[in-house]
Amino acid sequence: MSTRVNPTFIDDLDRFGAEDVQLCYQCGDCSTVCPHADEVYKFPRKSMRFLQMGLDRKLETTLEPWLCYYCGQCSEQCPREADPGETMMSLRRWLISRYDFTGLAGKFFKSRATEVLAIIIVALITGSFMLFYGLSRGSFHIYDGEGAFLPSGFIHKFDLTVGGILALFLIMNAIHMWYLVMIKGSPFPVSPWLYIKQLYQLPWHFFTQKRYADCEKKRGHALYMPWLLHLGLMLGYVTMLILVMVFIERLQAGPEIRWEVHIFGYLASIGLIAGTIYFIRGRFRKHYIQYKKSHGTDWVFVVLLFIIVLTGIAQHIFHRTGLLELANITYIIHLMSVVPWLLRMPFSKWSHLIYRPLAMYFAAIRRDAITQRETILSVNPVLIK
Amino acid sequence: MRTGVFFLQTEDNRSLNIDSIAKYSANLPDVETVQILRVKPLPSVKFLTDQIKKYNLERIVIAGDIPGYYKPVFTRAMAITEGNTDEIRLASFQEHGARGENAMDRAKAIVACATMGVPFPLAAVPGGNPVNHATLIIGGGIAGIQSALEIANAGKQVFLVEQTGTIGGHMAMFDKTFPTLDCAACILTPKMVSVGQHEMIRLLTKAKVISVSGKPGSYRVKIRQSPRFVDVKACVACNLCSEVCPVKVKSEFDAGISLRKAVYIPFPQAVPNAYLVDEKSCTYILSDGKKCGVCVKKCPKECINLNEPEHIIDIEVGNIILATGYELLDVSKIEQYGYGVFPNVLTSLEFERLTNASGTTGGHIVTKTKRFNKKSEKDEWVFSPEGIPPASVAIIHCVGSRNKKYNPYCSRVCCMYSLKFAHLIKEKVPNVTVYEFYIDMRAFGKGYEEFAERIKQEGTFVVRGHSASVAMNNGQMVVKGEDIFNDRLVEFKVDMVILAVGLIPTPGTEELSRMLGIQRDTDGWFSELDYNGSPTDTDKGGIYVAGMCQAPKDIPDTVAQASAVAAGVLGSFTSKKGIGHMSSLTLSEIEAKAKTIHTI
Repeated sequence: MSTRVNPTFIDDLDRFGAEDVQLCYQCGDCSTVCPHADEVYKFPRKSMRFLQMGLDRKLETTLEPWLCYYCGQCSEQCPREADPGETMMSLRRWLISRYDFTGLAGKFFKSRATEVLAIIIVALITGSFMLFYGLSRGSFHIYDGEGAFLPSGFIHKFDLTVGGILALFLIMNAIHMWYLVMIKGSPFPVSPWLYIKQLYQLPWHFFTQKRYADCEKKRGHALYMPWLLHLGLMLGYVTMLILVMVFIERLQAGPEIRWEVHIFGYLASIGLIAGTIYFIRGRFRKHYIQYKKSHGTDWVFVVLLFIIVLTGIAQHIFHRTGLLELANITYIIHLMSVVPWLLRMPFSKWSHLIYRPLAMYFAAIRRDAITQRETILSVNPVLIK
Repeated sequence: MRTGVFFLQTEDNRSLNIDSIAKYSANLPDVETVQILRVKPLPSVKFLTDQIKKYNLERIVIAGDIPGYYKPVFTRAMAITEGNTDEIRLASFQEHGARGENAMDRAKAIVACATMGVPFPLAAVPGGNPVNHATLIIGGGIAGIQSALEIANAGKQVFLVEQTGTIGGHMAMFDKTFPTLDCAACILTPKMVSVGQHEMIRLLTKAKVISVSGKPGSYRVKIRQSPRFVDVKACVACNLCSEVCPVKVKSEFDAGISLRKAVYIPFPQAVPNAYLVDEKSCTYILSDGKKCGVCVKKCPKECINLNEPEHIIDIEVGNIILATGYELLDVSKIEQYGYGVFPNVLTSLEFERLTNASGTTGGHIVTKTKRFNKKSEKDEWVFSPEGIPPASVAIIHCVGSRNKKYNPYCSRVCCMYSLKFAHLIKEKVPNVTVYEFYIDMRAFGKGYEEFAERIKQEGTFVVRGHSASVAMNNGQMVVKGEDIFNDRLVEFKVDMVILAVGLIPTPGTEELSRMLGIQRDTDGWFSELDYNGSPTDTDKGGIYVAGMCQAPKDIPDTVAQASAVAAGVLGSFTSKKGIGHMSSLTLSEIEAKAKTIHTI
């Protein structure tokens, strides 16, 4: 079997944020301190080695980058200051661009200008469309009910369209990931039974992010704080997504909003606000090693999310206090940031929402498959001659 | 002779101001034109022939960091104009060392010599001046001892200054040397005795250089000799004083793994072979003579005087040799190895003393045992000969070495002594398992690679992969690491961990470098003049470096360098040259000298 080597791989990855890979001298300190490295998945050193050797075809089939939650202990430990944690982060960015069949993700990661430009264009198109629609159908002075500027029925349909596009991209990328990891990357066929057996991994990792907590446990943080906030941010985001996608008509039905929707809305907002503020503050203060280097896309990520949350809340407040014109303006700004955000999701860091649980799922399947195969091999030794 | 000076200098060398040098060279005699040319693109032959014709040049000086690179163009131009191609002179700033503090003066001198057609090294060698035939050696380790013996055996006076109570240094602490597994003491102690008895060597122990003045060839040195409190000539090393001494402190010679008294002899073969009193722990001295003093009464030779004052010694010497050695990095600041927390995590020097037959356990390799200390009323872990031998030992290489947070450099000896430890443990403890965690095996010397192979043959598990953590699990130490060659993560249960700790310069290095006016490199070691050409000289004439204080090196290299230094020192007595190094001459001195050479 031949192995293809990409000699410029290490330089390519520089654009994704891994700047110091060539410093690594393969001592293995990082793998030793990593809370998640084990017998089957040994990283970060091995990933660093593949990277140094330019084995991009090999790396795109590995799951190791997704198993890392960037606690930063490897980077603190590294005697060469080669920053293995940041390398794993960059590999995740690179993998996102690799799973993405449109090639947009790679462009966004490599050039901040392209990304910002794309966001502005989408935002402007959305804004002008909303303005045009609202002014032609409704009144600027009415927020909800009859003759509303942006009636909830229309927004609901609009949301579903955007959500559909988003889901399409995500599913295609996830299938691509599955193909790379489980078909191309697996040296032997995996029994379908394992897929069913390990299916519980998907919701389990999605809703608990238990492995992240393990990282923080080893670091000894009080309440495993970054994990808790990350979980809060994720749950808030998912709740809000469901509210907006499914229950938008109830959210915007009129002065009376059902209490369930209300409570979920507030909880989700708290999660989002706390999470974004924590991560923005972290990136400014750089007090944890994982915040030392911020890739351009990281900033776009948190800043855009922050705008969405702020305008969402402002719009709610204006609506409740009767400042309907202001509410309509903030609504448009809100939509102008939501649509690019959602459309960008499959091409950005935010898609790790899907890839991470999938990676855990595939990792568990692969681990089982390897154990199974080892058992078979140990019972029936392969006769070479 | 009509001369044209052409500067061709890349912008890399920022310590030189080319404009200023060009202005200076314009005022030199016979210089018709001075031009600063662009390096890229190269000046064309046509342009150069035009210039030669225009100014009617007979000699061309090419000045720059690498003038030889541009010479062919000038040679062609000179040949076309039917000039003498031998009169193309190179003024190379790089080759003649125009860098550092007086780079500008140096560069000017280089250009001046070239315009006069005088080879720069000829003009820049200072004239001989009388050299004092006495030599001062700072540091009494193997480097200092070797140099002292070489010089003294040639019949010249040597002052050997040693900070502790005995000469011998670190080598005296070792059990075996790698790769031959010779007994270190068997090589060293005869040399120590020779030093102690040599009529040409004046040994000053417990002494420190406090000031140096003068110039190359005649340095005046002030040495402070702290009191030893025991008369070296009268003491017969009967040990009676030590028996009655009530004070117990950690022994420096045993790397802190055993205790000694306040009046003690570092080790039985110490030179001078006499006891000494440690003023930092002696009750009598600390209480200003109010308490204790039993050793004075006990001594049968009446040679202990606890009120002895310190001496200031003034000497005049021609050359000074630095052989101040090294010490270990403070490994307790690298927390993940648990040094100082887990009892059986040892530094390399501690293990060296443990395995030494003259050590506290008599050479038995054992783990520490718990013992109740009545004084502090605490349990403490100590080595005792009855201790249990370890069933498994892990040796971790590169602790603090090749690490950007601690020492970025390789300490050079750790790989080999770690392999030696593996051999010694295998030899002394039956059925022991030894793990070596290494990053890269640096077996560079004669017979070293073979030694490394031999250790692998002996059944030591040599793991390619550095361990970053030592943890305690139910009273058992666990060393985690990645076995890269076998592609697995490993966790070994071990009873003892030996850390191959990186080496750093001794704390006095900085003070000494300031006192002598010589440079240190970024890691704190003394800088040699030229790593390839003159590895023993410093940038100040008459001051030499030998052994570890220049950079980490093993015993064979140290001894070789020490002998080389002795050759340099002895050479200075006869040649009277090379005492002041090139950098010690000023611009005007070089110019004046170049003129005399030119006129001959």
